[in-house]
Amino acid sequence: MSTPEVSELPPPFPAVQRDRATEAFFDAASRGELLVQQCAGCDTVLPPEAKTCFSCGSDNLGPTVVSGRGRLITWVVVTHAPVPVLAGAVPYVSAVVELDEGPWLMVRLVDADPTALAAGDAVQVDFVRSGAGENTGEMLPVFRPVGSEENATEEKA
Amino acid sequence: MSSAAIAGLGITELGKVYGRSSSSLAAEAVRLAAADAGIPLSAVDGLLISSGQKQDVGITLANALSTGPLGLCMTMNSFGATAGIMVATAAKAIAEGTATTVACVFADTPLKPKQSTGAAWGSPRASTREIAGLGGWSLAGGAINPNILYAMCARRHMERYGTTSEQLGQIAVAQRAWAQHNPLAAMREPMTLEDHQNSRWIADPLHLLDCCLVSNGAVAVIVTAADRAKDLAKPPVHVWGWGQAHEVRRMHRGSDWGLVTPAARSGAAAMRMAGIGVDDVDVAELYDCYTYTVLVTLEDYGFCEKGEGGAFVSDGRLAPGGKLAVNTGGGQLSGYYMWGMTPLSEAIIQARGEGGARQAPRNDVVLVSGNGGILEHHSTLVLSPHARKLPAEVTA
Ligand SMILES: [Zn+2]
Repeated sequence: MSTPEVSELPPPFPAVQRDRATEAFFDAASRGELLVQQCAGCDTVLPPEAKTCFSCGSDNLGPTVVSGRGRLITWVVVTHAPVPVLAGAVPYVSAVVELDEGPWLMVRLVDADPTALAAGDAVQVDFVRSGAGENTGEMLPVFRPVGSEENATEEKA
Repeated sequence: MSSAAIAGLGITELGKVYGRSSSSLAAEAVRLAAADAGIPLSAVDGLLISSGQKQDVGITLANALSTGPLGLCMTMNSFGATAGIMVATAAKAIAEGTATTVACVFADTPLKPKQSTGAAWGSPRASTREIAGLGGWSLAGGAINPNILYAMCARRHMERYGTTSEQLGQIAVAQRAWAQHNPLAAMREPMTLEDHQNSRWIADPLHLLDCCLVSNGAVAVIVTAADRAKDLAKPPVHVWGWGQAHEVRRMHRGSDWGLVTPAARSGAAAMRMAGIGVDDVDVAELYDCYTYTVLVTLEDYGFCEKGEGGAFVSDGRLAPGGKLAVNTGGGQLSGYYMWGMTPLSEAIIQARGEGGARQAPRNDVVLVSGNGGILEHHSTLVLSPHARKLPAEVTA
């Protein structure tokens, strides 16, 4: 297979569409807010996909808006697209970030220099439009390193 | 209570085996294992079936084999931990009288002609242009296959403990050195650390030579009572102990994902049952979907302190002639990829003393691990060519 022209490549973010269960999540994202879940039983903040509170076992979870600030736990530099819709995105960085409120999210890390990353780096949520052209999708939460120079120094100090 | 032993091993053609169904390969492996044990198929009264990526072997396999009446017949799946759990399940069934002679078989045919290894692991979402809901967000995040998820675990270990890519490379190099003496191994060319470092990224920090092969084929073992096994064709491989442990991936502050795995609980349980400690282990056949899995399993089993796996593997300790014989057939990195049957099959060969040029110098205690999911499922077996000493004999 020959290498396709750049214009034929899928965009960096595939066009993600809302479904009935995620209307509130994507409405929040379009307002620049990150919506996750909180346990009604013990207040533990959980990732958006959680079905049960790991802390108390309750399945009574409700939406809550979080700060969007967090720390880098781990990351991977992906140079070979695992599926065709990500062909236009490589190389990209996938990361696990820990929100200040506690939950871990598996997300795309943007504007990151992979050679300068370290566990514990401060990260901040941002929102990008998925898809491109006629095939646009929802706004997606992504994360980016913040104050990389100053914060990195603080971490190491 | 009778203790169990492995009496037969059957391995079909492995690797780029095309034009055959998983079921056909599974049936052949069971026939080979029964022949290896020197028993007719009619003597098999238990059948445990595991299939891999394709999950396409069912209990109808019993019909294809024309076994005798069965007391036990089921499919099982804990991913790469299944093989060890099948042997433990067989041993328990034999102890309680559900069956006397249990065939445990794994078969898979993920490889297709003219298709890359990566495509065998392709996602069904691959061609979907519009992706719904949180699944779409996850897909856009891009961490959607085992290579990437294991790379995340490896990176976390590196960040926390200073583990390096070169240290992971030492595992691959040691296993390739063992593979050179294994006629069944797919990759037998000599490999250096430089080769490892120069191999392309699969998902940084994992290089190509950190990752397992993908193979078509089937492997089966026959488990029976130890007192019965001693009268059969091959020397019995006694099952001294087993363990299994499963953990969900907790995505929250305080999670030790990537640092500690269910191997810790599974290994401790198996060694406790067997009455051994890690210092007693002569050969370790450790599930190696990635070099990193070997490293973290060595730590979790207690061969070294947590976080010291990198240093532990760096002095050639795992290679032929080293202090600890690990993955003596080349494992799944250089040998063949039959999920948990890869370490189990090599463990049987070593326990029998059939390793030829790659036979470990001592084989009194052979440890076998199985790892499934993204470090979510783990099984452990302790095997030996010697009958298990019961506690009364030990104290006598
Ligand atoms: Zn709760």
